[in-house]
Amino acid sequence: MNARRVITRFLLPAGAVALAAALAAVRAQPTGHALDFTTTQYFEPPHQQQVKSILSGAEAVARPGQPYLIHQFRLQTFDVNGRTNMIVTGPECFYNEKACTASSAGPLEVQNGDGSFHVAGDGFLWRQTNSLLTISNNVRTVIKYGAKMTAWP
Amino acid sequence: MNRLWPILLLLLGALPAPAQTNVTTATLPTARGPTLISARTGDFDLNAREAVYRGHVRVDDPQMQLTCEQLSADMPQEGGHVSHIVAETNVVIDFMDNKGLTNRATGDKAVYIYSVQGGVTNETVTLTGDPQPQMEDGQGNTIVGDVIVWDRLSNHWTASNFKIIYRHSLINSPAATNAAPANPPPGTNQPGAPPAR
Repeated sequence: MNARRVITRFLLPAGAVALAAALAAVRAQPTGHALDFTTTQYFEPPHQQQVKSILSGAEAVARPGQPYLIHQFRLQTFDVNGRTNMIVTGPECFYNEKACTASSAGPLEVQNGDGSFHVAGDGFLWRQTNSLLTISNNVRTVIKYGAKMTAWP
Repeated sequence: MNRLWPILLLLLGALPAPAQTNVTTATLPTARGPTLISARTGDFDLNAREAVYRGHVRVDDPQMQLTCEQLSADMPQEGGHVSHIVAETNVVIDFMDNKGLTNRATGDKAVYIYSVQGGVTNETVTLTGDPQPQMEDGQGNTIVGDVIVWDRLSNHWTASNFKIIYRHSLINSPAATNAAPANPPPGTNQPGAPPAR
């Protein structure tokens, strides 16, 4: 059997089968994008009816085997009474659904409900399980004292 | 026992002595500018609303500048106020007194507490640590104590178990005042002066 026959009879069909299998595998994984992405986390019992955090984005891109890419993300955390704790925003982040983390090397901003406590920084990791946000670089905080909060008479 | 002994500092020289620490006089500003905190990294517990800043921490406030290596603070909710801040490791606080002189307080730890009890506002910064915290005024006089407390509303400082080191006595001591010239001319009599070495 010469080389041409080997290629024709065995290698080409095998390659076609392998290619088809690979394409099928790729199709099996979720891909594409979604607008108005939202994922909600609830408190543990006895406050399981209360929302603990909401991570949302203008657009979410699903990539095979990788975290979601969230554009224009917004993370809002609440206390058990439903009051806003903090609001985190940024141009984009990666959301790992399995690891329950969101991260980015880009900029972000954090502020409380009325903006009197405002934080900016570059690069972050948010751990959803314990609501811990780590800002990696260049952390700047501004604390404003409004008329209602000032201590001065 | 740590009794807090009120001490008069130079910045108080230009201030009327307050009858109490919670002053409501017209000399205080009616509004306060923002406080800025910068650091290399930060951890923020979004549920407990606690922030921990690490690495070259700097606080800029209309009343003072503070630097340290680590600072933790609570994050207020809407309408709230930062009520607790702890600065640790190489804490340095620079502030201007009413004479325009820069004063410096140093310590291992500084704790800021803000509270309103019975309609009375309290706002203090307490310096502690080992070595003892100290404060140096714009003229070089230094106060060293176990605890140094700064009442931010009255701009009043207190210290416990303190000692004061006057720079004046070091520079203008009698021996130095009457000291002989460093290089007296040969043959010159210097009554009372020590023999030249």
